[in-house]
Amino acid sequence: MHYIWKEWKENIRGKGLWLALSIIVLISVSILFRSTALSFDKGFYVLLINLFDTIIYFIPILCLFIGAFSIFQEKEQKTLIMLLTKKDHYTSFLLRKSLGLYTVVLVPILVWFFLYLLLLKFNFQLDIKAYFIFILAIVAMSLVFLQMGAAIGSFSRSRMQIIGYTIFVWFYFFFLHDFLLLSLLPDVTYENVKVFSAGYFLNPLQSVRMFLETGMGVYSFGHMSRLLQAFMWTKPVFFLLGNLVFWIITSIAAGIIFHRKEGLE
Amino acid sequence: MKKLLLFLFIFSITFLIFPEKNSAAENLQAMIDSLEEGAVLQLENKTYEGNIVINKSITLIGTINTVIKGDGTGNVISIKAPNVTIKWLSVTNSSMDRNSAEEYAGIKIHTNGNVIENVKITDSFHGIYLSQAHENKISHVEIKGMGKGEIAAQGNGIHIYYSNQNLLTHNTIEGTRDGMFFDYGNKNESYQNNISNTRYGLHYMYSDENLFKKNTFTMNTGGAAVMNSNHLVLEDNHFIVNYGNQSFGLLLLQANDNQIKNNTFYMNQRGMYIDQATRNSFEGNKISQNQIGIELWASSNEQIFSKNLITENTIPAVTIGGGDESNFWSHNGKGNDWGSSFPLTDLNQDGIGDFPITYRSSLYQLLEDQELSYLFLKSPALPIYEKMNAVLMDEKVMFDDPHPLTAAKRNNHLILIAAVTLAAVLILLKGRHLLCITFGRNGRKT
Repeated sequence: MHYIWKEWKENIRGKGLWLALSIIVLISVSILFRSTALSFDKGFYVLLINLFDTIIYFIPILCLFIGAFSIFQEKEQKTLIMLLTKKDHYTSFLLRKSLGLYTVVLVPILVWFFLYLLLLKFNFQLDIKAYFIFILAIVAMSLVFLQMGAAIGSFSRSRMQIIGYTIFVWFYFFFLHDFLLLSLLPDVTYENVKVFSAGYFLNPLQSVRMFLETGMGVYSFGHMSRLLQAFMWTKPVFFLLGNLVFWIITSIAAGIIFHRKEGLE
Repeated sequence: MKKLLLFLFIFSITFLIFPEKNSAAENLQAMIDSLEEGAVLQLENKTYEGNIVINKSITLIGTINTVIKGDGTGNVISIKAPNVTIKWLSVTNSSMDRNSAEEYAGIKIHTNGNVIENVKITDSFHGIYLSQAHENKISHVEIKGMGKGEIAAQGNGIHIYYSNQNLLTHNTIEGTRDGMFFDYGNKNESYQNNISNTRYGLHYMYSDENLFKKNTFTMNTGGAAVMNSNHLVLEDNHFIVNYGNQSFGLLLLQANDNQIKNNTFYMNQRGMYIDQATRNSFEGNKISQNQIGIELWASSNEQIFSKNLITENTIPAVTIGGGDESNFWSHNGKGNDWGSSFPLTDLNQDGIGDFPITYRSSLYQLLEDQELSYLFLKSPALPIYEKMNAVLMDEKVMFDDPHPLTAAKRNNHLILIAAVTLAAVLILLKGRHLLCITFGRNGRKT
């Protein structure tokens, strides 16, 4: 609780969280304006998909930066040393800090999307289940990238390193990962499609998208071929959960194993 | 006294053995049978038990809660006389049997000149089935199926079988197998129907010269599938969010000489999917934000695309099976508006670009060989993949528009830009003298 409060106070005084939130607010409002011409009963789904497709470019990088700089600030202000000398082990520090980060980033986002739902109510026929799935998708994406950000903050020694790592991670998941899979695509057969599927859903952006689109009932997997059935060997929600567990544990482990207590200065 | 008790006992036994519902069914059928030709029967605000057969040209009018409930063994209402009118009632519970010789429906029409208006149909195999029935009018009918997951276990919303010149307007169909299925149905007209969550919203098989106008298809596996049907006109329809792994807005399969005009294809997996089709004309359509705007298989030829707005699609058009040489991307000197992805100059201001647009892509091979490639259509990696293949010269021409239209002036987002700038300035000004974690000087006062 102490960490959450500390994180909250630090963030509301800073610019990062507000910048991130204002970007999300602006995007969602502008998408709402663009979607007012959509039909009352189905426009809601179109809006959510458009919003997700736009917001997916911002949330990962914002969460990476917020996570990384939040940890790095502890190094820069020497509070990390103080905390660790006092009583904490780095593992417990990182876990508590992560919990604080989750709360501080997710609470304003959730509050905004609750208010946004009220705005949507005037324009569209709401589907609360679909909206809940949308919120879950946003939360899952934020959690993964916040944790990755925390790992980057843990093993970086300077701001330049943070920026470099963050851009690399963002670039990897946005472009490189899929590009590698696209290059492998001609060699995918029924025998190895499950491995390919694991690789595909290892990308948080793809597993979150699949969870959202199938969960809302927009994307249908009817009449699947044998190959596609083998590719979708479990439900999208389990792919997402697997992805979430994998990346959060990997990021925490990487943060703990490779952490550096001091910045360069 | 004993006799009275005995009478009451026998009366109550009879009452229990023949419950009210059977007598009610007999009542409605009996009421219908007792009517004269051309009579009007005003039904009460209650549930009538079916099934019923209408053998006379009569009018049945219900009220807000009038329901005709079938016994689940056949058609709830069978119309076997011409010029029957049914209005303002709900029909439910036809047989769902797939092994019988007959395909059952909520309302089955065998005759001509009938009118079905403001009727709700639920729990029925087919909603309305027109069997060799012509010149009927079906409007404001609401048909609800079992949902998208059930394909084989249920029938179609409106099934037209060997039926011509029918008028279908303002109907709403949701969750059936196909929304409207035309099987050997010619010269039918459909206006302003709303079809969602079905397999194919509209399905034409061997049906020619039909008109389909101002209808909306949303969240179906496929918007409209036109197969083996010729000389159709599809105009002003909306194909929106037909989005599954094999989905499309409009499929033309072995369909020739059709006119596809002024339709909107928005956010579909494929806007149009054209296979083994010839001489179809596509004019004035708006094809935007689809993953593939137009997917043309090499077996299709002599299609004419003119005055369409094809913009913001992941891939505007792809020709599977090789280069596109047998289709025409302009007509009478007017090509298509390809949006901002294909910048053009128009120095003489005649609305036609100064140079042709040729689009090359390497994806055709991947899409043809590997169905999983469709899963990457939303990936930002796709443009990089295309660029890499462009360097390797592994591309083919997907379309060549000799007379592209210059983009119409779009709304600029000045207000949005101003709002973003204002927000950025406010955030940067805020906290100049406070603690700043992420981009500031971290706790040091300035």
